[in-house]
Amino acid sequence: MRTHIFAFTLSLILCVTARAELKWEQTLLELHPAAGDKEAVGHFKYENTGAQPVRFKSVRTSCGCTAARSQTEAVQPGEKGEITATFKIGDRTGTQVKNVTVETDDPTNPTTVLTLKAVIPQEIEITPAFVFWGQGEAANPKTIVVRAGKDFPLKNLKATSSNPDFQAKVEHTGSGEFKIDVQPRETTHPTSATLTIQPENSAKMFYATARVTNAPAVQ
Amino acid sequence: MKSALVGQALVLAALALVPGLGQAIYFHDKVSWKSSVPVSEMVTVEQARTWGKNALWVDARPDDEFVRDHVPGALSLNEDRWNELLSQFLAVWSPEKKVVVYCSSKSCNASREVARRLRKEAQLPNVFVLQGGWEAWLKSK
Repeated sequence: MRTHIFAFTLSLILCVTARAELKWEQTLLELHPAAGDKEAVGHFKYENTGAQPVRFKSVRTSCGCTAARSQTEAVQPGEKGEITATFKIGDRTGTQVKNVTVETDDPTNPTTVLTLKAVIPQEIEITPAFVFWGQGEAANPKTIVVRAGKDFPLKNLKATSSNPDFQAKVEHTGSGEFKIDVQPRETTHPTSATLTIQPENSAKMFYATARVTNAPAVQ
Repeated sequence: MKSALVGQALVLAALALVPGLGQAIYFHDKVSWKSSVPVSEMVTVEQARTWGKNALWVDARPDDEFVRDHVPGALSLNEDRWNELLSQFLAVWSPEKKVVVYCSSKSCNASREVARRLRKEAQLPNVFVLQGGWEAWLKSK
């Protein structure tokens, strides 16, 4: 009986001490890319603090906009490394949360979910970005409101229409706020225009659409 | 002996309740399976198909996936090229259409984001998210 207890305890100790263990420095990273950045890159650092090598089985992301890769296939005991997650910002705005799921052969912790949080600054907010009139509807102006985003001073802006059938008139309505009155010349036939909105202190262009549809309006 | 065992079992059960109660009190609104999209804004493939030509299909997946294959007649509108693709989409949209946005599968989030932006930024009515996404469409073919 004593021999059994000794063998059991010994095997338990060996199991515990010989286990593989990947310790993550952080499993949540918050990134603050600058306005105009194309991508945000996060580095999830790890260390194998166990006595066995750890092999990566898969590294998957929750979105086609994020790519993740590990530096190596196997992490030796004591070795450090990182998983690099690259988030493509594109035309996304606001706070974006993307997950990276890492699967290893570590039986105690086979799956780890790493979270990449990117806070993308928004220079201006355009509401609505689309105004339309039904065919035959009174050609009255419709208003687009432009507000400055947090930490973006907005002193002046220009709005130009791609189509002379639509007029765009800008008016400053308050601190960091403008209204653009958009008016079609007539609504007898379907037509559309892209309005280019250019804040004075920004290199970036913003867009809104105005359109006379071929159906009665429901606005 | 028997009563001691029952007592211990009760103590263990009571201890197990503590984290459960904590979860219920502090994280009741963070249940992982809870969808952020109201049921009224979701649509199944079967329902969307009944709308026929009144449905305007929107593919929220990245460009390469759209190029590989997509719902016949669908327009590409993803957040990688939102500004450029939105104006192309709005040129085709009309008020009587029901917009059906889809991404890869049940677990993807792109369709929800695109639908949210269409409602908020373009202020479009009748924007729906396809349940199960592209995978559900393929299964129903």
